[in-house]
Amino acid sequence: METVIALNSATACTSLSPSAAIWQDVLSQAMTGELIAAMNYTSLAEICDHPDEVADALEHADGERWHAAAFAAEGRKMGLDVPNNVNAKHWKRLREAFMRCIEARDFIACLIVQEIMLESFAVASYARVGKVGPGSLGKTFAAIAAEEEGHIDHAMEILKAERALDPQRFDDKVYRLHLDVMTTLAEMLTKECRNGHCEVCHGSCVKPSLPAVSLSAAELRGVSLQQYLKTLDKLGLPGEVTLTWLSQLPV
Amino acid sequence: MAESVASLARRGRELDFALIGHQESWRAAADVLAVLRGPQLAPLPDDEIKDILPWIPPRAVCHVEVGSMTGTKAHGVYIDSFIPPDRLEAAYMHDNIARVRAAAAYAIKAGAKIVSLGGFSSILIEGNFDQLPERQDTVFTTGNTLTVAFIVQGIQKMCALEGRNLRRSTLLIVGATGDVGSGCARCLAPYVKRVLLRARNLERLRRLAAELEADGVQVEIAADRQQFSAEADIVICAASLASGSLLLGRIAPGAIVCDAGYPKNLSPNAQMPEARIFFGGLGQITSGMRFTPDFHGVLNRHPFPDVVHGCLLEGMALALEGRYEPFSQGRGFITPERVEEMETIAEHHGIYLAPLYNADGPVEDVLDLFVA
Repeated sequence: METVIALNSATACTSLSPSAAIWQDVLSQAMTGELIAAMNYTSLAEICDHPDEVADALEHADGERWHAAAFAAEGRKMGLDVPNNVNAKHWKRLREAFMRCIEARDFIACLIVQEIMLESFAVASYARVGKVGPGSLGKTFAAIAAEEEGHIDHAMEILKAERALDPQRFDDKVYRLHLDVMTTLAEMLTKECRNGHCEVCHGSCVKPSLPAVSLSAAELRGVSLQQYLKTLDKLGLPGEVTLTWLSQLPV
Repeated sequence: MAESVASLARRGRELDFALIGHQESWRAAADVLAVLRGPQLAPLPDDEIKDILPWIPPRAVCHVEVGSMTGTKAHGVYIDSFIPPDRLEAAYMHDNIARVRAAAAYAIKAGAKIVSLGGFSSILIEGNFDQLPERQDTVFTTGNTLTVAFIVQGIQKMCALEGRNLRRSTLLIVGATGDVGSGCARCLAPYVKRVLLRARNLERLRRLAAELEADGVQVEIAADRQQFSAEADIVICAASLASGSLLLGRIAPGAIVCDAGYPKNLSPNAQMPEARIFFGGLGQITSGMRFTPDFHGVLNRHPFPDVVHGCLLEGMALALEGRYEPFSQGRGFITPERVEEMETIAEHHGIYLAPLYNADGPVEDVLDLFVA
């Protein structure tokens, strides 16, 4: 198992107000996602050919660790311990999907998974949480959403250039990765976790409780999938094709 | 073997036309998503559709190829604005205009030469074309001229089927000040005995009445929701309603009623057992229409093949004709001359008035049986 920065804790607060318990789970999910991203960028550095690319990937990894730390700090401000679990079933599958791209030394596939799929999810859901989160918690989510958006813009140029070389080959690759990664993300984003506990929430599934903090699982899924489609549009993939992909995701 | 949507999309082929529309019911939206999911996946549950659809950005749903009796073909796309069927009310106007603008931007980016605005898309924009994105080489038409043509033809056909004399009829137009309503008034007013106009905006009603009266037509106006119903023997319902909510009240026995709304104007609760109701503004393509993926009977939910709303057909007809021009724009500019010109273009390509039908099925068959 890979080492994760020392923020891991299995302790859950048991005497929290109802909304604090919800924020604890929201922060746990976000922090786990950031740690997965940090691990992904670290792995990416291993397959980069150019020293500048290596430095870039490691810088991104640092940035993601900083985001994870920021979420942990927000939890502490609220008196919350923020556990994370990069081995939780969905997150583990996402990490494994990324590692298959690493094993294939497919730099472009890595960017598609991390920047187009995972970051779309992060940007959209963080921005939404940023609008309703109390005080500095909301500001932190909003600020990190903006930073992640910057990552996407950076990757977009590389990916657009790659697509221009052979659009069909590129789109076929995105589709293969979509089936692998977005299916898992869509399962994470279902309105209710019907297939068992996600292994990140500290108690029962947080999704039914989200309306208490002006969020909803349906809305978080909606904004995430919308962001994903818009990102694919920017890349130049045909909208009628990506609409079919979206419509076939699990709900 | 039929070409896949992916290969069609990637071919980078020029788009002769784009059609912008939206679904008028959740059932229709569910059917669209079911086609996209394919037969191997179970249809999405209704509650999931209602949660997901509002987040889908406007985009092409399918490719459309339309044939002409001249042998030419035109290729386009159907773009759905994904306006949720229960959010057509004025309260969502700002949101919906943004969706139509995004759909228009999509059509422009796709390089469509002409874009037809279907249903509420044209209602939202008809008075304000400058709300559309910068257009480059793409032109927009509301498609309302061909809609008017088919409404007028439908009225004439229904009168003939029913043995009515149009010249002895009293015509009521509900939603008379809209682009379609006023166009119908201009086309039919010279051929009827009396014209009754109903709309919410009295000032616009007065202006339209004055215009028609200047041509010697006897016109009366009302803003009241049910006024005139009992006096008319021909009624055209062309109001911009978010759902079928129009109750005409007591109407003349055997009155011909054309519901030209999208969504339909007439309330399902409208009790008019003696009225001859038909859905107006629909045309039929006689030289073939192909959807990729196959949306036949899903995007065009009519009991006859290749039937399409006039507003969308206008863009296709103009594309087949090679006339990439904003034929219908703004509100209140539809004249009998322009309607005749559009009819000629449509007929040249084998696009005619669709067989008449209503919620119970074909009207003409029923009448034939009645006569027999």
